[in-house]
Amino acid sequence: MQYRKRGLQKLAGILEIPQDIVLDLPRITMLGNQQLLIENHKGIIEYTPSLVRIKLSRGELIVNGNHLMLSNLQVEQILIEGTVREVTYDT
Amino acid sequence: MTLNIANYINGMVRIRIKGIMTERFVNLCMAQRILLWDIVKHDNDLYASMRLNDFFRIRPITRVSQVKIRVVAYRGLPFLIKRVKQRKMMLFGAVASLILLNIMTSYIWFVDIIGTKQLSDTMIREIAVQNGLRPGSEKNTVNAKQIEKKILLAIPEVAWVGVSFSGTRAEIEIVEKTMPREEDKAPTDIVAGKDGVIIEFIALAGKPMVKKGDTVKKGDLLITGIIPEQTVVDEAGQSIKNNVPPQLIKANGIVKARVWYETYGEAEMTVFHHERTGNREMAINIKIGSNQIPLKSAKLDPEAEFENEVIHKKIPVWRNSGLTVESEINIYHEVKTLWAAKTTEEARDEARTKALLAVQNLVPETAQILSRTSEVLDAAEPNLVRVKVSIESIEEIGRSVAILGQ
Repeated sequence: MQYRKRGLQKLAGILEIPQDIVLDLPRITMLGNQQLLIENHKGIIEYTPSLVRIKLSRGELIVNGNHLMLSNLQVEQILIEGTVREVTYDT
Repeated sequence: MTLNIANYINGMVRIRIKGIMTERFVNLCMAQRILLWDIVKHDNDLYASMRLNDFFRIRPITRVSQVKIRVVAYRGLPFLIKRVKQRKMMLFGAVASLILLNIMTSYIWFVDIIGTKQLSDTMIREIAVQNGLRPGSEKNTVNAKQIEKKILLAIPEVAWVGVSFSGTRAEIEIVEKTMPREEDKAPTDIVAGKDGVIIEFIALAGKPMVKKGDTVKKGDLLITGIIPEQTVVDEAGQSIKNNVPPQLIKANGIVKARVWYETYGEAEMTVFHHERTGNREMAINIKIGSNQIPLKSAKLDPEAEFENEVIHKKIPVWRNSGLTVESEINIYHEVKTLWAAKTTEEARDEARTKALLAVQNLVPETAQILSRTSEVLDAAEPNLVRVKVSIESIEEIGRSVAILGQ
């Protein structure tokens, strides 16, 4: 499994294909500490104004902060607004 | 932005999601491609916005996720239409007011006439009314071109006329002809308006009574408009009575004469002026109708000099009552008299300025000034400087005077 993934990654590098598409990885974009955009997610596990847990293809993403708000919720992307203090990647 | 407009047109609702598995509800919504936004948590309740179309699709999801949904707010066109439908009279009123506005603006409310100077507005207004242009007439029925033509034909003094409409106001613009001034044909004499010596004499009409070089006094006859019976002498030396009777004409001519003016100006060597010391007293009176009530009286030093300043304050006419309420404030400024001495030159200049000012009022603007002299006279008083200014000028002295007895 690990070996196969590495092979795929190499192939993506040779063919210049974006790795997130090949490997089904989330693309996380942050605008300061105010906006956090997560693409290619698998749904939300938990939501409170101070904590958001998002399921990914492997593992989950834990966002800590204040006044967090899910301002846009779609199949492809989640936009979190508020004051982000901490983003943790849990595998 | 476009998404916002689309959402507004389709309508959107804000819902409260109550339950244990609110996250599950959100995930299921996502899986169903139901768009949610502005999700916030308040006291274990989730608030989210969604489209109105999607709202009717969430029933199965609520059953699965065991949450209770409640609409807390709605926004958008579908709700607005619903509200308007409930209040039909409002819509009716809006339409009615539009129709009324349309009807009202199709009539003329005011007729303005501008540009008239000699002509009377009422005459033009009358013609306009006869041709259907009056307050209350419909705009479409008024033929502006025809009214322009009618006014132009009816009043010969009008050079150009324009009828235009701006909103509910009709404007008749008039440009008047400038008529040549009618000359007075009444017979006149030319008499001297001032004393002087004639240096130029041209009689254009009438019989000359003086000649160049004559000294004339004010009121002397220069050119007469009375032409006596003409007699013609024939070859034989006999005078034949001509049948031209004595005529009266309007005399005309150019009579230029040398005219002298003399004026005097005086100035004192010492002057005094008052200067306020800054001390002042105030007296206040209130006048109600014909009664006067002193509120404050001034305590004046009998030995000092004062300048009095009076201020009247009136309450504006209140409901047309005849009662006048007025306050009168007397301010007494204490003054000190200061004496100042002037040099002879200053006094002389002042006197000359006074004299020149006086002479300027006498000499007409068209006069040609030949010389201007000033001399200081010996004044009887030692404190006084007296200056004489004399001016010699050439000017037209002829004045038209109507021949009496006609």
